[in-house]
This record gives sequence, structure tokens and C-alpha cells, in this order.
Amino acid sequence: MEGLKMDFISSEALENASSMEKIYMIIEKVKKGAVVVMEGGLSPSERAELIETTMREIDVENFVGIDVHTLEKNSSSFFGFSKKKTVVITIIGPANVMKTVKKQSNLLSMVADLNNG
Amino acid sequence: MSFFDFLINLFKRNKKVSIGLYGHPNSGKTTLANQIAKDWTGKDIGSASNIPHETRTVLKQEKIVIKDGENELDFDIIDTPGIATKIDYQNFLEFGLEEDEAKERAKEATKGIIEAIKWLDDVTGVLLVVDATTDPLTQTNITIIGNLEARNIPFIVVANKIDMEDANPNRIVSVFPQHTVVPVSALNGEKTDELYKVMFKKFN
Ligand SMILES: Nc1nc2c(ncn2[C@@H]2O[C@H](COP(=O)(O)OP(=O)(O)OP(=O)(O)O)[C@@H](O)[C@H]2O)c(=O)[nH]1
Ligand SMILES: [Mg+2]
Repeated sequence: MEGLKMDFISSEALENASSMEKIYMIIEKVKKGAVVVMEGGLSPSERAELIETTMREIDVENFVGIDVHTLEKNSSSFFGFSKKKTVVITIIGPANVMKTVKKQSNLLSMVADLNNG
Repeated sequence: MSFFDFLINLFKRNKKVSIGLYGHPNSGKTTLANQIAKDWTGKDIGSASNIPHETRTVLKQEKIVIKDGENELDFDIIDTPGIATKIDYQNFLEFGLEEDEAKERAKEATKGIIEAIKWLDDVTGVLLVVDATTDPLTQTNITIIGNLEARNIPFIVVANKIDMEDANPNRIVSVFPQHTVVPVSALNGEKTDELYKVMFKKFN
């Protein structure tokens, strides 16, 4: 049984990266079996691009795609009118490794399947 | 009718309305597209199936006109392949597909998802079809909604499969409180009249 690799990426590390660079960095790591834990979230167009890139990279034998999970916090705007949720942590991993993910409001727990990775 | 209204109508007539059906595999997009097409043109659009990723290329039905008294909506239906972040061909084996068929289906499904995402640039309105028996807060739904908002594309969240015992359309309302949610059963046509009413308002 091999171990599970986890990569933690700070938001600073991504500050100057273009969307494409971000997405390729994530996919490269996930394709090798790592679970990426990223500070902050992706924009809607980056999320769509992430799905598109994943679809291009799927090969039926070795890489079946990704699972994405997020933890949010409530951030009320300056006037306190709109309660928007901001993503603080994004977790992206190989779909066949991220077996059980349970999410309650503030807690996300994952069980990795190491036989598949 | 004022001259201004006249101009608006003229403009509307020239603007083509393309309504995309988006959502997870198996949420009932094709079933709903067929129901709408059957109600207003008498024929089906595509094949529906309990095996996920049944629709693997975008299907288009041009010129559907729905009417209700004064209201009229003239549009093309774009039925898109279900969007997912993963596709494991082994899941198809459980439905009795041969290994080769299953792998081919998986490959086609990946292409279909890319095509569905590309079509977000071309639709003028969207019905986001959500299976009301499942958790609505998913990567797929969040990504679709985020992209529609960013593009200012009007959309309706369709809480589908309300005929099923474990359907919970209220859960969909509670996670998307700022959006219009319409519960229906695409399979037996329950409450689709409500949906048409909301479509006149949203997409005209
Ligand atoms: N009970 C019930 N079943 C439904 C309803 N709508 C769709 N279904 C069933 O759900 C399954 C999937 O329906 P489809 O219309 O093929 O789903 P889809 O969203 O087009 O799926 P893909 O093309 O794979 O993305 C089929 O077995 C349908 O009969 C509904 O309102 N009620
Ligand atoms: Mg379909």
C-alpha cells in the first residue's frame, strides 16, 4: 500500500499565476494521485475550465476524473445586505482516491482509498 | 401599442432565444426536453435512459413556440450532455454494458461535457435541471450557476422528479434562495404549466 500525497497551496503561490497555469498545476498533481488542498477558491470560469481540462485528460484506464470540495465562510458585505459565501479552502483529488467525503457546515472529512490510487 | 413597444417587439422578434437544458447526468434534461417538445410540437427530441451519459452530443430542436393567452415564447431547445467531474466506465458495466461499449461511452461522454460547456457561450437562457432526490449543492450545479451569473444569462432551477417519494424540492429552494426554483415531474408532465408561466417571464 502506497501512501497518500497531499499538496497544500497557499493563495500567495497562486497570486501571479494565470488561470491556465493554476489549472494545469492542479491537474498535473491530481493525475499523479495527489490530493490538492488550496487556499481560496476558483472563479466560475476557472471551475468550468477545470472540468474541461479534466475531460481532456481522462483516460479510461488510469485517470477517471476529479472530485472537488470546498469549505466556505459567510462574508457579509460592507452594508451587511447580502450574505455571500466565500470559498476559503478548495480540495481537489483523484475521483478514485477520494472515496467518502462527508460535509457538515464547518467540517469536511475525507477517507482516501489507497488501493486505487 | 406605443411606438416604443413596437420597437421592442421588433427587436425581440429578431433576437433568437436559445434555451439550454443543463445539469447532472440523469437529472432528466432529455425527458424534460421531450416533454416540452411533445406538448408544443408533438414530437420527441432525444432518447432518455437510466444509464448516465445517455446524451453525449448537444441536441438542438429549432423553433418551439409555447403560448398561453397573451404570452408567447419562440425558442430553440438545446439539450446538453450531463456535466460531471469524473467518468468511470466501470459504472456502466453495472447496467449490463460490455467493457468495450462502456469505454466508448466514457470517451464520448468526456467530449460531450466539453461541448456542453462550450455552448454556455451561445445560449440565451437556461433550465438547470436538478434531480430533487439528490443533494443539489454539487460542483456541477455551482459551476453552471456561477458561469450563468458571470455571463448574465437568465435561468430557472427546475427541481425535477417530484413524483418520487424521496424528492425534496424544498432543499433546492433552501440552498438557492436567490434563484427561481420550479418543481416539476418531467416524466409525467406534472406542474410543467407552472414552468411555462415562469419561462414566459424569464426568457422573453
Ligand atoms: N420518476 C421520474 N423519473 C424521471 C423524471 N425525469 C427523468 N426521469 C428518469 O431519469 C432517467 C434519466 O433521464 P434523462 O432524461 O435521460 O436524463 P438526462 O439528464 O438527459 O441524462 P444525460 O443525458 O445522461 O445527461 C431516466 O430513466 C428517466 O426516465 C421524473 O420526473 N420522474
Ligand atoms: Mg440526456
